[in-house]
Amino acid sequence: MKRRLIPFVSSTLLFCALGLVGRSAETQGVSKQVEVVATRFAFTPADITLKKGQPVVLLLKSPDVAHGLRFRELNLDVKIPAKGSAEMRFTPNKNGDFVGHCSVFCGSGHGAMTLTLHVVE
Amino acid sequence: MAIRLTTIAVAILITALCGCKATPPTKTEKTVVTFVKHHFTIRNKSEKNPLAATPATIADGKEAFSHYCVTCHGTDGQNTGVPFADQMSPPIPSLASLDVQSYTDGQLKRVIDDGIWPSGMPASKGTLSDDEIWSIVVFLRHLPPIGTQSEQEMYTH
Repeated sequence: MKRRLIPFVSSTLLFCALGLVGRSAETQGVSKQVEVVATRFAFTPADITLKKGQPVVLLLKSPDVAHGLRFRELNLDVKIPAKGSAEMRFTPNKNGDFVGHCSVFCGSGHGAMTLTLHVVE
Repeated sequence: MAIRLTTIAVAILITALCGCKATPPTKTEKTVVTFVKHHFTIRNKSEKNPLAATPATIADGKEAFSHYCVTCHGTDGQNTGVPFADQMSPPIPSLASLDVQSYTDGQLKRVIDDGIWPSGMPASKGTLSDDEIWSIVVFLRHLPPIGTQSEQEMYTH
């Protein structure tokens, strides 16, 4: 009986401990990761909804030429090398819609290449 | 059918009268066209530039201008180093000239958005973002002195 109880208790304790770690990480604000593919001439996805105050990492990938992603209002600008990747890390601190543009000239549809962030409570 | 024939005949007549040679416009042509553009055809006079003229915005505009505007307007916006600037009809204007600078910001935005017919000025809406076009308008208001920028490599070798 004792032998059975020890693994049961220890696994329960471990389970609770992991749960606590997870909860404390959540309260500290675990980064939300979103993969974004930038191609001539679109970002996919082109709309992303984020929670105000939650840290975000946009994992940007370009399978073709060099691109960029710039949100003037948020003071964010990241360049993505051709056939490469880059990360944009930030924590949205105001609600609203923010339109980002490709910031590396990539051809005839460059000006229409946008990504909209919807930041909500 | 009759209308189509008349249109073709008029087109041939105009071509015969005008010819296809790119010649500089006369003083009268220039005066009339400039007046018409400023007062009638290039609209959007009242739209304000949402971007403030800061050193960062001017730098943004210069960068956006360098994508392809420089091919015809030169890196200084004043045709420096552009070998065909005077050979086009109409010739490419200096963007520092009074003719260009007397447009409002909204009109300059419209010119970059839609281009100008009849001239070699192309429409850039969709090729450049609104943000880039407004930053170019800021740059146009703060052009560097003529000939102070390095010339484009394509014209120097």
